[in-house]
Amino acid sequence: MAPKFPWPIVLLFRLRFRRSAESALGDLMEEWSAGNGSPHWLWRQALSMLWPGTGGPHTTYPHKRNNMHTLSAFWSDLRYAARTLRKNPGFTAVAVLAISLGIGVNTGIFTVLNGVALRPLPVPGATDIVSVYQSIHGVKSRNVHGAPSFFSWPEYKSYRDDNHVLSGLAAYSPFLDVTLGGQQPQQLFGQLASCNYFDVLKEPPALGRAFSASDCAAAREGAVVVLSDNLWRTTFAADPGMVGRSIVLNRQPFTVIGVAPVGFQGTEPIPAAFWAPVTMQAMLERGTDWFDKPDMSWLVLLGRAKPGVSRSQVRADMAVIAGRIDQLTPGRKTALQIETGTFLSIPEARKYVTIVGVVLLAAVGMVLLIACANVANLLLARAAGRQKEIAIRLSVGASRGRLIRQLLTESMLIALLGGVLGSLIAVWSFEAIMDFILSHLPHGTPPLAVGVGPDIRVLGYALLLTLGTGIVFGLVPALQASRPDVNTALKQSGIGGKTADGFLRHVLVGTQVAVSMVLLIAAGLLLRGLYQAQTIDPGFEMKNVATVSFDLRGQGYDDTRAGLFQRQAMDRLAALPGVDTVAEAANAPLSDSHRGTVFSLPGQPGTYQVELNEVSPEFFALLGIPIVRGRILTATEARTGAPVTIVTESTARQFWPNQDPIGKIVRMDDKNDMQVIGVAKDAQVSHLARSNETYLYLPAGPKQQVRMQLLVHGVDGFASTATGIRAAIHSIDPGLVVDVARLEDNLEVWRGPSRIAAILAGALGALGMLLACVGVYGVVSYAVSRRVREIGIRLTLGADAREVKSLILRQAMRPVAIGALIGIAGCAAVSQILSGMLFGLSSHDPLAFVAVPLVLLSVALVASYIPARRATQVDPMVALRYE
Amino acid sequence: MPSREHLGEFEQIVLLAVLRLGENAYGVPVRREIEKRTQRSLTVGALYRTLDRLEDKGYVASWFSEPVPERGGRSKRYFRVEPLGVRALRQSRQELAAMWEGVDLPKAMHGS
Repeated sequence: MAPKFPWPIVLLFRLRFRRSAESALGDLMEEWSAGNGSPHWLWRQALSMLWPGTGGPHTTYPHKRNNMHTLSAFWSDLRYAARTLRKNPGFTAVAVLAISLGIGVNTGIFTVLNGVALRPLPVPGATDIVSVYQSIHGVKSRNVHGAPSFFSWPEYKSYRDDNHVLSGLAAYSPFLDVTLGGQQPQQLFGQLASCNYFDVLKEPPALGRAFSASDCAAAREGAVVVLSDNLWRTTFAADPGMVGRSIVLNRQPFTVIGVAPVGFQGTEPIPAAFWAPVTMQAMLERGTDWFDKPDMSWLVLLGRAKPGVSRSQVRADMAVIAGRIDQLTPGRKTALQIETGTFLSIPEARKYVTIVGVVLLAAVGMVLLIACANVANLLLARAAGRQKEIAIRLSVGASRGRLIRQLLTESMLIALLGGVLGSLIAVWSFEAIMDFILSHLPHGTPPLAVGVGPDIRVLGYALLLTLGTGIVFGLVPALQASRPDVNTALKQSGIGGKTADGFLRHVLVGTQVAVSMVLLIAAGLLLRGLYQAQTIDPGFEMKNVATVSFDLRGQGYDDTRAGLFQRQAMDRLAALPGVDTVAEAANAPLSDSHRGTVFSLPGQPGTYQVELNEVSPEFFALLGIPIVRGRILTATEARTGAPVTIVTESTARQFWPNQDPIGKIVRMDDKNDMQVIGVAKDAQVSHLARSNETYLYLPAGPKQQVRMQLLVHGVDGFASTATGIRAAIHSIDPGLVVDVARLEDNLEVWRGPSRIAAILAGALGALGMLLACVGVYGVVSYAVSRRVREIGIRLTLGADAREVKSLILRQAMRPVAIGALIGIAGCAAVSQILSGMLFGLSSHDPLAFVAVPLVLLSVALVASYIPARRATQVDPMVALRYE
Repeated sequence: MPSREHLGEFEQIVLLAVLRLGENAYGVPVRREIEKRTQRSLTVGALYRTLDRLEDKGYVASWFSEPVPERGGRSKRYFRVEPLGVRALRQSRQELAAMWEGVDLPKAMHGS
């Protein structure tokens, strides 16, 4: 059977030929099957579609020169273009610089996106690796640990055992947070993996061995683990005798059987420090057992396609198995998503990154657009200056197509130079952007494994961008300049400046201003949002509060021991010098974890989503949140977890308007009734800048003790208090990893992304404005230089220099003003997407929408004033003799 | 006014190749025939561009064979020269012959 051709080849033929595509492809296939073709030959055949006249004798236009020499014509075009560019170093430098900046930021951003979401996994034969996810419809409920698109163990086994298209299918649970015991306990991110994990990925351990079937059969006895190279080097000093030793994870012994190869960190953005067999789930994540639960999503699947099996065959075969699984549950409908595996395969995460990526690429695309408009403008101006040359070439018989081709070769050369320089900028800016983003991530974010540089995909992107850019900025000027009547047209309208290319130039300036207006207003909004985030008062005390967190459940605490531990810890922390209050909370205020539930009001239809927090009575005093009605929790209510709740003012207003909320009942999860005993003042404890959410405080009862954090209010400096806190906790349990942080650090969860976005947008906006103003300046000074004679006449006839100046300014500013209006309207239409980073500001914030345009317009005014002034300073006599 | 249509050099070559091949005139042999006799290399794309144009002018007609496995399940597209094409060829030959008549190429320019 003949192989399939690469899709670009098929596409090229289909695009070029409507009728003969199949015949031509058939011919190619026949030659190929007969052994007459090489890949080089095949591509030559296809690429000849792109450049008409190459690849063979060709007589579409018999009057034209023999196209057998097209290639040499191309070379002479290229040489000619290079000479022309060399002769105008100023023009060339400005054009190349503008394009390289545009391509540079685009490629830089693309490199980041590629590293995060597009690049195949860095494992051998990565293109054969497929990630498998599912979306399930028609079932009432499904338990999730990770994401809903994950699989249960029984589902995994079906796909693994029944498929005919994969040489292996591995499963792993990507997020496992455990404590490594020892002198200095530390928190590690690891993964639970199926026994064939290293075999499917073809990443056999560098030291020791991978999992064997017996490892996966074992439960508590014979627990094994494979370490990452990184963990082995940093924590175990690259000890070659590690294999066979025992390490302690979550207070249980694991035997090290292997060390993963250098650089292999798993297949998730967060590097894995170790891998344990998936059968040890219940052992590492105590209190849970997801094995054999058919409706628990907790496993990610990665398969390796058999050689020669296409994606569609994989999809078809796996869909059959999905159909079989669906039959077990009436009404269930499963759709599988099978793609080449990347670091960001999880559909839920991908969706988010896609949105961010599209916004980012749109923003940098705008910068490139401005740069293109700039260069197009320069080319238009230059073409007018070259009218003589072009007219001569036309009159000695050059065809228009030939001329366009030559002018396009010139712009392509500019684009290529810009592309090369831009790619260098990209390599540099990629590092800078990555460093910048990684250093602005909030406290507690795990290290991300995205530090990858440019690859072939990035190169291809840069190349396509460069070619596209060359056509975008070169085509219109080339068409314009090569108009057969260019000579007469210019002769007739040499003075008024109302030529068609004058209009085009104004359109280009307007576009530049409009696009940079969008970028600048977005930057202005984001900066205002950042300022808002920096200065906002969350409505509770953040200063001098430390958050103390530890993982009791992972360390084997049950409810009783946890309760005991927390009471001891609170006593010892309260006894520390300088500490005045200690409180418990399930979630620290403004942390990035939220707990929600569904509740109803007895006797009323309807259910409501509500966020809640379990706290101890001291919580309100510690954070300075006043109770405005009713009373606080009593110590007894807290200790016993009594069915009482304190609601926020907004909640009370929403559910019991004009009534006394005290004594009312809310029903949680359809079964637990809670009585309202107090009303707390609204505060932004959950989301920054949002205080009107429905929010309940519940007592931190005995069942909750195992996952409580502590809040400590002290008057001394944070550093000394933190040391004291750690020592106090370790005096109770030396094996706990204790995380002590400032409560204020939680603000960074909100400010960090806002700061990243504001600075990126600000930089892009400034770059856009700079390019646009260079464009305005260029157009005005060109227009002025073309009109020196006219200005001279006006001045001689007695026109006031000021009037002439304002006439030029008015004409120059018209396209700017129109562009500005379009930009403002365009930004107003899309600024809604930024609302998440504005912290309560309107996405049509008047300050940003007035101040930013004023800035841009004044800069544009200066850019046109400089050349306008120059024009009126010339001596009329000199001006009249000009040309 | 098809008789006034001018046949390009390459169009003549393609028409002649189709005529020479007779029953077996589809893409692959046509291309091989031209490459063999003229010693020019020719892409598939360039050939079909010309064949399509000739068909538009009514100089050739084409039809499809059954699908062939070596062609990835695609059909062969056979061509034959139509009476209009024959007429155009004849006219081109006459024009050329008329121009060549009595011309003796000087030795120095010949084959340069």
